[in-house]
Amino acid sequence: MLSRSRCVSRAFSRSLSAFQKGNCPLGRRSLPGVSLCQGPEYPDSRKIVINNSSFFGVRFFRTTSVCKDDVITVKTPAFAESVTEGDVRWEKAVGDSVAEDEVVCEIETDKTSVQVPSPAHGVIEALLVPDGGKVEGGTPLFTLRKTGAAPAKAKPAEAPAAAAPKAEPVVSAVPPPSAAPIPTQMPPVPSPAQPPASKPVSAVKPTAARPVAEPGVGKGVRSEHREKMNRMRQRIAQRLKEAQNTCAMLTTFNEVDMSNIQEMRARHKDAFLKKHNLKLGFMSAFVKASAFALQEQPVVNAVIDDASKEVVYRDYIDISVAVATPRGLVVPVIRNVEAMNYADIERTISELGEKARKNELAIEDMDGGTFTISNGGVFGSLFGTPIINPPQSAILGMHGIFDRPVAVGGKVEVRPMMYVALTYDHRLIDGREAVTFLRKIKAAVEDPRVLLLDL
Amino acid sequence: MLIPFSLKNCFQLLCNRKVPAAGFKDTVKNGLILQSISNDVYQNLAVEDWIHDHMNLEGNPILFLWRNSPSVVIGRHQNPWQECNLNLMRKEGVKLARRRSGGGTVYHDMGNINLTFFTTKSKYDRMENLKLIVQALNTVQPQLDVQATKRFDLLLDGQFKISGTASKIGRTTAYHHCTLLCNTDGAFLSSLLNSPYQGIKSNATTSIPSLVKNLLEKDSTLTCEVLMSAVAAEYAAYHRIDGHIHLVDPEDETLFPGINSKAKDLQTWEWVYGKTPKFTVNTSFNVLDGQSCLEIKVHIDIKNGRIQICNIEVPEHWLPLEVCEKLNSCFIDSKFCPVETTMLTSILLRTCPQDHELYKKWYILCEKIKGIM
Repeated sequence: MLSRSRCVSRAFSRSLSAFQKGNCPLGRRSLPGVSLCQGPEYPDSRKIVINNSSFFGVRFFRTTSVCKDDVITVKTPAFAESVTEGDVRWEKAVGDSVAEDEVVCEIETDKTSVQVPSPAHGVIEALLVPDGGKVEGGTPLFTLRKTGAAPAKAKPAEAPAAAAPKAEPVVSAVPPPSAAPIPTQMPPVPSPAQPPASKPVSAVKPTAARPVAEPGVGKGVRSEHREKMNRMRQRIAQRLKEAQNTCAMLTTFNEVDMSNIQEMRARHKDAFLKKHNLKLGFMSAFVKASAFALQEQPVVNAVIDDASKEVVYRDYIDISVAVATPRGLVVPVIRNVEAMNYADIERTISELGEKARKNELAIEDMDGGTFTISNGGVFGSLFGTPIINPPQSAILGMHGIFDRPVAVGGKVEVRPMMYVALTYDHRLIDGREAVTFLRKIKAAVEDPRVLLLDL
Repeated sequence: MLIPFSLKNCFQLLCNRKVPAAGFKDTVKNGLILQSISNDVYQNLAVEDWIHDHMNLEGNPILFLWRNSPSVVIGRHQNPWQECNLNLMRKEGVKLARRRSGGGTVYHDMGNINLTFFTTKSKYDRMENLKLIVQALNTVQPQLDVQATKRFDLLLDGQFKISGTASKIGRTTAYHHCTLLCNTDGAFLSSLLNSPYQGIKSNATTSIPSLVKNLLEKDSTLTCEVLMSAVAAEYAAYHRIDGHIHLVDPEDETLFPGINSKAKDLQTWEWVYGKTPKFTVNTSFNVLDGQSCLEIKVHIDIKNGRIQICNIEVPEHWLPLEVCEKLNSCFIDSKFCPVETTMLTSILLRTCPQDHELYKKWYILCEKIKGIM
């Protein structure tokens, strides 16, 4: 691997040697993460000690595309220890830009993995062996079209100051008038001071997104980058849009005074924890209140079957609880809530939460559901309109609890208040029913005795 | 146990690969023996990567000793679906890791010692390392019949494999690592390394199964601790260096700057599963339809761990063609992974029309498909 050893052992000697003035940088290669500087008139610009790091970071500017476009064929390196053949595993594809020393493929010989780096900056022209194909020492592997431009990939581990490599493409034509250190401040580019015509500006273009704004320049970056939407997201998007198009969605709001529930929680949480080994949260109050209200107003628990134009009334109440996980939104279901008490609900929520965390949710945990509760309050939401989760007819949105002054018995008091929102399908549920439903939830949360007394 | 200050210094000096080679020609002959205090396979593999990438090994060979909690480690270019029983691993909490060196699949647990020999590329010599291990074993137990084979395995009594080898050669450094079976759970090993997945066609590197045996079964004095000290002592004697074993913490960023991000990279799905070479799955499973049994054929092309082509052939009378096509198209580009499939299916099922029969069938189909992932 002549090119490799040349690179590694002589890189520094080459970099430290004096530059000939007016030399074409043909054959001058840069180290990974370091771009070449044209600074023959400024010998001090060669060496810079950066940030107390004890290695020489040599900064250059790549200035010319005078390098001829050579196409070189890279051959399989000789194998160690009398091994004769290996399998090629490609890391890069045809058309990829590679930097000098960047790994293009790996050759697997009898349990050993050998990396084959690129001997120069360039673009991969052709792969001469299929992936998994067998090669021997000396077999041609791929052809590389050498280019003068350094690939845009930044190597943050080796680039000392973040500003410096990004500042370079802009200043590439102009050697900095001041001496080292270059990277700290972007000098203003004096346009008349163009270099002589024999050294045109390099064709370095940032092809990768560079979201970091260069300090001292005062302007933001203007690039964008595109990412293909994955299928899951496309599916979810499609589904949400379908929901919006079929349902006549409306939202009604109300507010809940959380002081009673908070007081109940404070009073009983230790006993609850002791008996059930579970934390008493607010979800159980809302889930139970919703179940109660759904029993009183069965139409909210029903759904329109568009195919048969029927209204399907369900005798069971399965409440889906929206949970945000790193993988995205999952909606596990609590089955037959009408038969549960607060403890049962908390237990189920905790089990489902554990499963979600460990990525063990099964399909049957997540399908079905007749009503959804979504809690935006955990993220600090004040107010908002949730979107219905088909095939259901309504969704309750809980928001954050904030202290607010409210009128109580003719006086102003500060109470912990939560806004709640109910989005419903108006094709099925009328305004009066929706408002009554939400008020029932409010009543049951504000005073759980309502549940006992069946009021 | 804290690293003595001298070691930290030593490390930082040796890390300085960027200094021109000339500065290191006069270095005193050094060598280090390191032992990891962690049993996390990803952290230990990250130490290997770190030493390989950052240390100057000129005149300074390093021996790294490590053990892992139950994990299956596949080679760089292998296919985990072909090599091991992923369902069993998920159930039993056995980790899956992909190392950066080539070779076949191995099972690690605390009864297995891993030894990594770091040298410069020029000094890379696997046979020398294996001979060193044999020498160490014979020092502890002179009667032990251990031989190194041409394939760089170690055989006990001429037939039982007690060590397998893999290595990686970089630009200037190389490492050779091998296992040493002291007291591994053999039955568990066999069940884990036996893949139940049918119909996989790929050109990934395959493992060659071998008959294994634990050294402890042969001689009860050969415990992990005894063997680790023996190999370390032999290494120190051979390279004429200080035989002190330095304990290192793979999570220590001051000793190994940047190592935690290396460990994180090794745990990403894109590395562990996504780096599998292209493969196809051609299999079938049965579903019950009333009294009869229907055969459903599945053909899936997977690249980078993601489904490229999905063709699930279902008899028309059981599931309408358009429903089937919808299912096939939605799997494209998603990971060949049961968790992802679960999420996808639950979203799909919610878009399904209110046909209970159809719903049930789709559900069953998805569960079966998850079983082959």
